[in-house]
Amino acid sequence: MKFTNRQFGEMSFEETHVLNVPEGIIGFGEYKKYLIVDDEDSQPFRWLVSLEDPDLNFALISPDLIVEKFQSSVFNDADVTVFCLVALKEPWTTSTMNLRSPFVIDNKSRVGRQMILEDESLSMQYPLFTRFSKTAG
Amino acid sequence: MLILSRKVEEYIIIGDSIKVRILGIQDGQVKLGIDAPKEIKIYRSELYDQIQNENMEAAKVEKEFISKAARLLRKDSAEEAGTMHPKGERT
Repeated sequence: MKFTNRQFGEMSFEETHVLNVPEGIIGFGEYKKYLIVDDEDSQPFRWLVSLEDPDLNFALISPDLIVEKFQSSVFNDADVTVFCLVALKEPWTTSTMNLRSPFVIDNKSRVGRQMILEDESLSMQYPLFTRFSKTAG
Repeated sequence: MLILSRKVEEYIIIGDSIKVRILGIQDGQVKLGIDAPKEIKIYRSELYDQIQNENMEAAKVEKEFISKAARLLRKDSAEEAGTMHPKGERT
């Protein structure tokens, strides 16, 4: 099957790779079908790309790459894949990821959900590049 | 919008399974007690709004920025692994 995204153009995909997000991404609740797209230049980032709106995509990062053992500390041994959404800030080296509400995929059912974690100490604007954000913490 | 007046200790019922009770009112603050099934998610609106704002920002991210950020991240992890680049190369 085929779909179009503003950044990646026309792409084809297998039905089995479709990620169902029944509640949508917060603020974008009407879109419930996504694909994880890998782009060579973007690695280790990955993309969450809407199959329903060609303008809608999010950059994802595995939080463990930035915060050691984040996934195991929050999700224990659950069979899930955890990503954080990345937001661009000015200057770009101060860009952040949202640790408080990660995007979590249940590996068995391939259902994804943006969770809101109870731990209030988790930042919604956690710096991607800690060495540029020493003063911002 | 439905508008209801309730006194302390009174409650309203939403659907078959959600109960919201007024526990107390003090200094302009209303304390609510909410009984709802576990699968019903309840948040303070400002938390939800904040996440929504972050998501709006996240939805604007372009490939061009991500490639730059990716290069920096890869460089950082290469340095951590012990393959140091000359200091001046850090940008």
